[in-house]
Amino acid sequence: MSLDERTVVARIEHLTLSELRIWVQEGWVRPAQGERGPVFDDLDVARLRLLCDLHKDMALPADVIPTVLALIDQLHRTRRDLHRLTEALDEQPAEVRRAVIASVRRKTKGEGY
Amino acid sequence: MSDDPYKVLGVAKTATQDEIKTAYRKLAKTLHPDLNPDDPGKQAEFQAVSAAYNLLGDAEKRRRFDAGEIDASGQEQTERQYYHHYAAQDGGERYDGGFGGQSFGAGQDEDFSDLFADLFGRRQPGGPRAGEEFKARGHDLRYQFEIGFLDAAVGAKRTVTMPDGKTIEITIPSGVRDGQTLRLRGQGAPGHGGGPAGDALITIAVAADPVFTRDGDNIELELPVTFDEAVLGAKVDVPTISGSVSMTIPPGTSSGQRLRLKGKGIQRGETVGDQFVRLKIVLPTEITEDMRALAERWRDSTDFDPRAELRRKT
Repeated sequence: MSLDERTVVARIEHLTLSELRIWVQEGWVRPAQGERGPVFDDLDVARLRLLCDLHKDMALPADVIPTVLALIDQLHRTRRDLHRLTEALDEQPAEVRRAVIASVRRKTKGEGY
Repeated sequence: MSDDPYKVLGVAKTATQDEIKTAYRKLAKTLHPDLNPDDPGKQAEFQAVSAAYNLLGDAEKRRRFDAGEIDASGQEQTERQYYHHYAAQDGGERYDGGFGGQSFGAGQDEDFSDLFADLFGRRQPGGPRAGEEFKARGHDLRYQFEIGFLDAAVGAKRTVTMPDGKTIEITIPSGVRDGQTLRLRGQGAPGHGGGPAGDALITIAVAADPVFTRDGDNIELELPVTFDEAVLGAKVDVPTISGSVSMTIPPGTSSGQRLRLKGKGIQRGETVGDQFVRLKIVLPTEITEDMRALAERWRDSTDFDPRAELRRKT
């Protein structure tokens, strides 16, 4: 799906065109550039909705948004890496998997979470 | 989960609109699904909290609810796909700069701790260790173009205006396919602390052409010919992606036969495709007395059966 600025603003409640442009300028959202201006896909639109929640709904001030986004992006990077690592482990022979699981269990014992 | 929206938000029935807003914000900050992607319990709580706020946060809806005109049901918002849903899919690493396989396996990792350093520390192979300056690769810049069939076949240049007002010119090489993404290394955003620049990713949509179609680097074209050209042979002008050329139709050519124009396809680097011309015999809409007489004479003088092979096979 690729949407232009106006379609995005029409689709996301409470988002104005000037806010959208500022957020793109700030680099909070990085749409693709087309000949007729920026083009947004599903990931960009979901990120804009998240930004509306954080910045407008929950009233997080603009100067903390980059910090929050950086933490969220790191969270997703770590989840993705962990997912790939898990997939790689799933491809290992049963005894390797069992040894890894046992080792992880031993190490996490007693941790607070 | 309580049905009473006041209890869901943890406010008194006498709370002011401001108190309701404050209560909602406080809850949303800890419950938002994108802040808790692995906690379905909190996600469900968030749904209930936003439904309650949807009702009580609007003074008019709240008044009608308090008066018993509407109930708390029907306030459920339509199912929304949260950011983490898309971020977990392929392509989601666009915003998190996740490894693209480069750090993974780029070095001769024999040691798990090396691998983990790559994964979690984003260590540059042979690069900075503890205490050294932080280096980060710039992020990728994405572009999206729709180009015409001929531009895709022979290559084109496009100018884009970036959000900061700068314009850049992008060269699209010949032979790009519909939906293809080109990666221009180092043409993305600059890196930080001496890190490398990101890449430019250019996604191309190619429009269809009314006459040409493509099969890899070969071009196909259907060429209408007359009955006499097919029978007697002819020299005709044929459009190609690089202009019109003269082509010889040998005598006795059937409809559907493919003739090759060598080297008239798409050039990509050292290789170049061909153009295939599929002939189609077209009769005039009005058949004259002459043609009718000619056809009758020919029919009576031949036992040619074009369907003999078809019959043998069925």
